[in-house]
Amino acid sequence: MTGNPRRIRVQSPGYDAQEPAPASQPDDASNASDAYVRSLIRSQLRLAVVVGSGFLILLLGVPALVWLSPALAQLSILGVPLQWLLLGFLMYPIMITAAWLYTRSAQRNEERYRQLTDQQ
Amino acid sequence: MKSGTDNSRTSNDAGCHMSALAGYIALTVVSAATLVIGIYGLKFSRTTSDFYVASRSVKPWWNASAIGGEYLSAASFLGVAGLILVSGADALWFPVGYTAGYLMLLLFVAAPMRRSGAYTIPDFAEARLKSPMARTVTSFLVIAVGWLYIVPQLHGAALAITVATGLPGWIGAVMVTGVVVITTMAGGMRSITFVQAFQYWLKLTAIAVPLVFIMLRLGTTGQDWSGNGAAFIGGNGDGDWYTKVSLALALLLGTLGLPHVLVRFYTNPDGPSARRTTLIVLGLLSLFYIFPTLYGILGRVFAQDLATGPNADATVLLLPARIFDGMASDALSALVVAGAFAAFLSTTSGLVVSVAGVLSQDFFGGSVKGFRRAALLSAAVPLMVAIATDSLALAGSVGLVFAFTASTLCPMLLLGIWWRGLTDVGAVVGMGVGTVLCGGAILASTLFTGPAPVLLQYPAAWTVPPAFAAMIIASRMTAHRRPTGLNRILARLHVPEND
Repeated sequence: MTGNPRRIRVQSPGYDAQEPAPASQPDDASNASDAYVRSLIRSQLRLAVVVGSGFLILLLGVPALVWLSPALAQLSILGVPLQWLLLGFLMYPIMITAAWLYTRSAQRNEERYRQLTDQQ
Repeated sequence: MKSGTDNSRTSNDAGCHMSALAGYIALTVVSAATLVIGIYGLKFSRTTSDFYVASRSVKPWWNASAIGGEYLSAASFLGVAGLILVSGADALWFPVGYTAGYLMLLLFVAAPMRRSGAYTIPDFAEARLKSPMARTVTSFLVIAVGWLYIVPQLHGAALAITVATGLPGWIGAVMVTGVVVITTMAGGMRSITFVQAFQYWLKLTAIAVPLVFIMLRLGTTGQDWSGNGAAFIGGNGDGDWYTKVSLALALLLGTLGLPHVLVRFYTNPDGPSARRTTLIVLGLLSLFYIFPTLYGILGRVFAQDLATGPNADATVLLLPARIFDGMASDALSALVVAGAFAAFLSTTSGLVVSVAGVLSQDFFGGSVKGFRRAALLSAAVPLMVAIATDSLALAGSVGLVFAFTASTLCPMLLLGIWWRGLTDVGAVVGMGVGTVLCGGAILASTLFTGPAPVLLQYPAAWTVPPAFAAMIIASRMTAHRRPTGLNRILARLHVPEND
């Protein structure tokens, strides 16, 4: 990450996710170092692209499976062919898991940014 | 066969055994409940800010239910099952795509959109690009998308009212428009949040309860729910990659630009709660789509005759009457009809609110009175279009709207949030290219009397990339027009609150 000469300060986050944030936006955000903001944007974009493309590969994997091995796609589990099971039912828990993992990681990126800027 | 209709277009002969009385009761109850809850919200909405975004004080669960309620349209409630009935496994792409759009929304748009502090998509365009021209173009697109999307809802209402009561279809369209205009004019967005949250749970109940009864009945009479696997045969696409990729592109990216969905993000208190809301929405949608999928599968066994007629989209409405007789059939049919009307009402009102928000801010001076006038106008235009046109398959025509937003508003939002280089000229050129290509495809596809060619039915694959490319190239050529204070604008989108 960005070179940072100071030590990391151990502190309470100073931010309670349960508490509603004030309506006003941080206008002094522009005072925060540009480099930190750019690095935050880059890491959030990287995270989003990784999760998004991972999901796309899984999604397009279903027709790929049908194309490569029709017999396997028709393989019946509990009376439902694998293709129907994957696309009709199993894709949903996969999406929720991906979304949950993303939310956690995005929050962590923001936490890291907050720690870096708090030290200034 | 039931008496009372010799209506021509969607005749009852296509297998309807539903009692008209049950239909009337369902319609009256849903409309009355929507009106009461909508007008009750009037108490809470006093200032203009209340009207537009519920003062940004809506909790994630409420907000997520409201988004779910708003999003689950005629295409979801009726269209998905109808399409599975007609085309089998290939149709499963629609519910997955409709849901996955929210994953993309979470990844790329939710938190920055909330942090931008804008009320509407045109507000975002102006805040990011500092350009009244970009704002105006975006406003026109939001209005176009809203109107394009309301029309299939009203077609759905026309189909449902004919199937449920035997009345001519236009009465359903007029009824939905009327209820929506009254609730919107009475309470604005705040009341709509209550109404929409209520609608999600109503829709879920309405589609889930009859299915549970149907499954129990099939279990006790020893019939196999999938016809011993017969339901799963056919419609496997035979490696039609173009359709799949194009559809996935439209549904995944199209959700990002839907104005009635994005307007909900302004009512979250901050970025993290916008993410939490989206996560809950994903759960709610996943839960919901299991049911139309099952209806479609059951329809392939117990209502196969509907696949060839004009009533394929009525599978969900007609299925209970295929399994049950008498009172049980009437009660369950009434429930699904109520759910279907909840779907038309909620999506239409969400769209009317967002179109009216843009119309009133940009053309009526932004007052409460202007909002009411705009609400009336934004519902009346699509009503006239819906009455003048014939309905296509619901899931398909909504799919076209997704392709349109994916080719126009989506590139502007994605590049605006994540790319420093976007300029106002670039955004306008890109949206123009998307509008011409995708709008042209939609217009051209209406010229065909039969099914349109695949390239026109699923245009996203050849309209989205040129829109992005045009936006990037034109931005690069006009790099000197990047707004001043770009760093501050981007910091506002991405830097966490309470810093």
